[in-house]
Amino acid sequence: MDGDRRRDSRSWDWNCPQSRAQMDQIFFREQDYIQAGSPEHKEFWAFFDRFQRFKAKRDMSGSGVRGEVKEKKRTGSNKVDLGLPKEYDARYRINVSVCTGDIEKRMGKSDPRSRQRSSGPGPQEVSDCRLALLHFLDFSQKQSFGKLAKLRREQKNLPIFQYRDRIVELVRLHPVVVVAGDTGCGKSTQVPQYLISAGFSHIACTQPRRIACISLAKRVSFESLNQYGSKVGYQIRFETSRTAATKLLFLTEGLLLRQIQQDKILDQYQVVIVDEVHERHLHCDFLLGVLRSLLADRPDLRLILMSATINIKLFSEYFHSAPVLQVPGRLFPIQVIYQPIPPEEQPSRSEKLDPRPYLRILQGIDQRYSPEERGDLLLFLSGMAEISTIQEACQVYATHTRRWIVLPLHSTLSLVQQDKVFDVAPAGVRKCIISTNIAETSVTIDGVRFVVDSGKVKEMSFDPKAKMQRLQEFWISRASSEQRKGRAGRTGPGVCYRLYSESDYNAFAPYPVPEIHRVALDSLVLQMKSMDLGDPLSFVFIDPPPTASIQTAVTYLKDQGALDSHGELTSIGRLLAQLPVDVVIGKMLVLGSLFNLVEPVLTVAAALSVQSPFLRSSQNNPDCSTARQPLHSNQGDPFTLLNTFNAWVEVKGDRGGGSRKWCRRRGLEEQRLYEMVNLRRQFKDLLKSHSLLESEDRAPSGGDRVQRRERFTERKKLHQLKRDHEQQEGSKRKVLRLDEGQDGELSSGSDTEDKGRGRKDKEGQGQDVDIQEVKFKLRHNISELQKAVSTSQDLSSRHQALLKLLLCRGLYPQLALPDEHNSTRKDSEQVFHTRNKQGVVIHPTSVFASDPEVLHVPEDDSRETGPDRKDSSRHQLLAFVTLLETNKPYLSNCVRVPALQALLLVASSVDTNADCTRLVVDGWLELELKEPEEALRVLSTAISLRSEWERLLKAQLGQSSLREPSGQGVSRRDMEKLSDSLFRFLLYTEVNYSLQRLTAFQAQNLYIGPRGEPDSSYSEVPDLSPLFPGAEAKPDPIKGGLRVTSFFTYNCLADSKDLYSECLRTFWSCPNCELYMPLTPLERMHHEVSCRPAGELQGVEKESEGEPAGSSSASSLTRIYHCDVCNEDLKLTSTEILKHKRQHMFSAK
Amino acid sequence: MEQSAAETPQNTFSCQLCGLSTSFTYYGQKPPNTRAVVLLEECFVVKDPFSPDKEKFLVLGSTCSLCNMCVCVGPDCSLFYTKRFCIQCVNKHLDQFPQQILAELAKKKQSSKPGVS
Repeated sequence: MDGDRRRDSRSWDWNCPQSRAQMDQIFFREQDYIQAGSPEHKEFWAFFDRFQRFKAKRDMSGSGVRGEVKEKKRTGSNKVDLGLPKEYDARYRINVSVCTGDIEKRMGKSDPRSRQRSSGPGPQEVSDCRLALLHFLDFSQKQSFGKLAKLRREQKNLPIFQYRDRIVELVRLHPVVVVAGDTGCGKSTQVPQYLISAGFSHIACTQPRRIACISLAKRVSFESLNQYGSKVGYQIRFETSRTAATKLLFLTEGLLLRQIQQDKILDQYQVVIVDEVHERHLHCDFLLGVLRSLLADRPDLRLILMSATINIKLFSEYFHSAPVLQVPGRLFPIQVIYQPIPPEEQPSRSEKLDPRPYLRILQGIDQRYSPEERGDLLLFLSGMAEISTIQEACQVYATHTRRWIVLPLHSTLSLVQQDKVFDVAPAGVRKCIISTNIAETSVTIDGVRFVVDSGKVKEMSFDPKAKMQRLQEFWISRASSEQRKGRAGRTGPGVCYRLYSESDYNAFAPYPVPEIHRVALDSLVLQMKSMDLGDPLSFVFIDPPPTASIQTAVTYLKDQGALDSHGELTSIGRLLAQLPVDVVIGKMLVLGSLFNLVEPVLTVAAALSVQSPFLRSSQNNPDCSTARQPLHSNQGDPFTLLNTFNAWVEVKGDRGGGSRKWCRRRGLEEQRLYEMVNLRRQFKDLLKSHSLLESEDRAPSGGDRVQRRERFTERKKLHQLKRDHEQQEGSKRKVLRLDEGQDGELSSGSDTEDKGRGRKDKEGQGQDVDIQEVKFKLRHNISELQKAVSTSQDLSSRHQALLKLLLCRGLYPQLALPDEHNSTRKDSEQVFHTRNKQGVVIHPTSVFASDPEVLHVPEDDSRETGPDRKDSSRHQLLAFVTLLETNKPYLSNCVRVPALQALLLVASSVDTNADCTRLVVDGWLELELKEPEEALRVLSTAISLRSEWERLLKAQLGQSSLREPSGQGVSRRDMEKLSDSLFRFLLYTEVNYSLQRLTAFQAQNLYIGPRGEPDSSYSEVPDLSPLFPGAEAKPDPIKGGLRVTSFFTYNCLADSKDLYSECLRTFWSCPNCELYMPLTPLERMHHEVSCRPAGELQGVEKESEGEPAGSSSASSLTRIYHCDVCNEDLKLTSTEILKHKRQHMFSAK
Repeated sequence: MEQSAAETPQNTFSCQLCGLSTSFTYYGQKPPNTRAVVLLEECFVVKDPFSPDKEKFLVLGSTCSLCNMCVCVGPDCSLFYTKRFCIQCVNKHLDQFPQQILAELAKKKQSSKPGVS
């Protein structure tokens, strides 16, 4: 037998693929525990090789052990006989057996034929393989159990573990519980698990950051042994892993608020955990307020606030002295060294930071600590400029010593660059991460041993007076200071260098200023209104924002048309409240839905809602600039963004994965484009769900069966790729190269960029899947997207003009006027003025910063008509998205619009003098027209366009709120007609006018003011309501003159040429009817609107809805007019009323 | 949808020696969906949480064949040698175990000592 076996084994080659395939047919068939081709199957054969080697080694060294056991056996077993086998065999250690009938057959009877086949497996081979399989199964069991045991051990070791029962008990007994614990105590991962195992279900846990939702869901599902299930899920803006089985959901604060908007009592949850409440984000503070009032209706709801041990009393007291459970953190000791910057190294206001104090610390670390002792350095600075100054200096030192890798970290870096801070430095080298306060809470980097704290932070504040955001540098709070220090003690004892004195520290504010005190509250107030929370001023916030701040927001929302004069939501306001974007961007979306401009508006709205895809670091790179050039549009930055997005989608469609390279060449952060495409999709869905956009009826996924099948298989593949990626994610951390910090944003010139590019491409070729591309393909149908985008490509001049108008109306009142002397200034010194802030400049990233001439009034077109006065028909304004003051007040994301036309169409206040040659818009811009004739024509066109636009918009919105399938809303023809008229008005209004700001003196004495007694000239002024349906012209109580529409007040300007309307009557003949008589400008306008050419009458007819269908055009225009002189009610058209009145007037004289 | 839906909190396996505690979904010798695999003892079994494959199982523990104590399969709590023995029973009957196992136990004791103290 022995000889037989040897002969067989000699002919049997385990390494031969065929042999293994034969074994596969015995052990790894379709119906077996492990199937051929599966990952376990691969692992098995790797294991098999190791196992064989191990066996061979053991056979050679110690086969004699077996004998000894037997001899030992009999001694002293007088108690129980365990009945153990006499001879040791490792197989007895395995509690698993594999028995397929097949194997048994082969093992049981030796088949002589199979042995003859020299290539086939003999019973010995089968038995060898089977033994290996058993050991493999045992090994994998041990491996998995080891993981489980380690996990449970780690959970037990967390400081919070001993409070487990106490937490559950508190939650059972109290509606609100505060759990306070410092970094590392494990509250975010453990508390939800304790609740689940205690039997709670439907748990929501909010996080201030999206990324935390994903990583926590991942960690907790792993810890609760549900890594491949969906018991634990997350939900963020564009992504969710939630299913019906989800018991615990991590979501952002904003998203939970949106859910409450839909589901007032939050029925879907049994427990709500609000994590990181101490960070005091706007949404979080608001959420707490909402939940506080919600608890009254949901006595069964359990609310848990989790916080660092900061200001716990505040939270507890807000919730009627809720019980607090304080858990110690797990930080290693940290040595604090105060090293205030000596006066000679203090930066003066305008200067750059002096790097010497920072370099001394690096040197000190190099002297004091051996390079073998690992530990990186994290340096906190206030902003990007400071970071690049210090980075530059540190890089010189690093290149010299070869002991440091210097890495910047701030939010405008590309994600690839941000990600580098997590990579590991080679042995003997430390990372020096220079960061903004992003590393204080949002980004956690392990392995930091040294922290350098500048004590400064740049914080956004809001100036309600100038309607401007301001980014200013402040001292940090003691709480932030401690948080920064704590970053040094996460993985071992650390050192924190504070570049300020201990007395400075003691003078710091205890806590940072909560966001609700620093930002514009427009969106918040809008959301409060839509949630029926009553007067925002009386809402019980944990820390109420300044009253002025709320009032500013209310006024702003009224200006925007989101609230009516009583502060109630308008129909557009209700819609805006549903959109997760700024009010101005929401408005654009709504406006865009009316015209055939949905696709480009969707793109622009999405683009303006995310960070700019244009990387700052590539701005000075000539290669990038050249490559970007074709994307630029001198119409404005939103158009550049639109072009960029469209071009990107095209590249995606043509080249798929090639888009990454395409973006890199242009210095674009592709992640932002992915965000845009997702956001765009969300906007589209929202518009559809509000019936503002027809849902296109398309065949399921389009195409024939073959195509559908192809798409299906592709999707399956993509899903697999995504899963694979998710599994290996995080497991690999690259080792940084010593020269890592040197390329990238600091060094100038194109060669470094090329270097970086070459390296990336090499990486890209390998197994490195572009997960974003995979997700993109899963989420979007590229051909549909391309189709959608192609409609917004190569916009016709008409569409472009309209799109600009829509953006302008959305952005209004965010308008800026170019300074009159700009054409004589250098490009870099162009100055602009907004209503509330003079002397603002264009942000260098804007297209108008590099191409300001397009904003100048063309020389050949203008006429100097006095000092600082230029008449032209080409004046332009800038509509802008943000006004942010850093070292200067900057405008960004600007679009240029024709001034007169845009103002007349969007401004909320237009005041005129008697002959309408002088217009004052919103009390700050003055337009003077030469010809009263032209002025009247323009004004009356604008007014009628606006009323038609308003009418259609109302119909569109009304239709969406009523959801009447029959209600047709806006007819395509009306819309086409309006867009055509708007376009003609925008482009072909050739009127010369001057445009300037009012001086302070002028602004003070702007209006004639109300007249004490209604004097004769007013009482007899014609009723103007047919001109502007729904509005009655009546004397304006403040400005004086006549308030004709909500935005237009006639003859209220205290004009030097203020003439009585009487004197202004000139003879005029109507081109459409027989009328020829002396009329005031107003009377003429009035007549013009009501007396339209025959062809245009339909539009007017529609307005009077109640009229029976067949009524003549004339009768539809008549209304009851009560004449005081005749003292009777007359049924007249407005022109007839005019005539009637004049009759009395003449007869009286 | 998932099996876990039927899972109730009382189905918890708890090791009486180390306290490791986790829910189990099956007790017996033939875990569901494992085809040709048979366990040689009655075990507390759960779907292997670390494998994406729904049909992979994980044995958590079983009862000691001598004292009936419920123990996990961790090497500090029990060992299997034709039968399951809790570590206490193993120590009581050391003499009946083969040299290989004794050597292993001794080695483990040595290596774990510094960690414990």
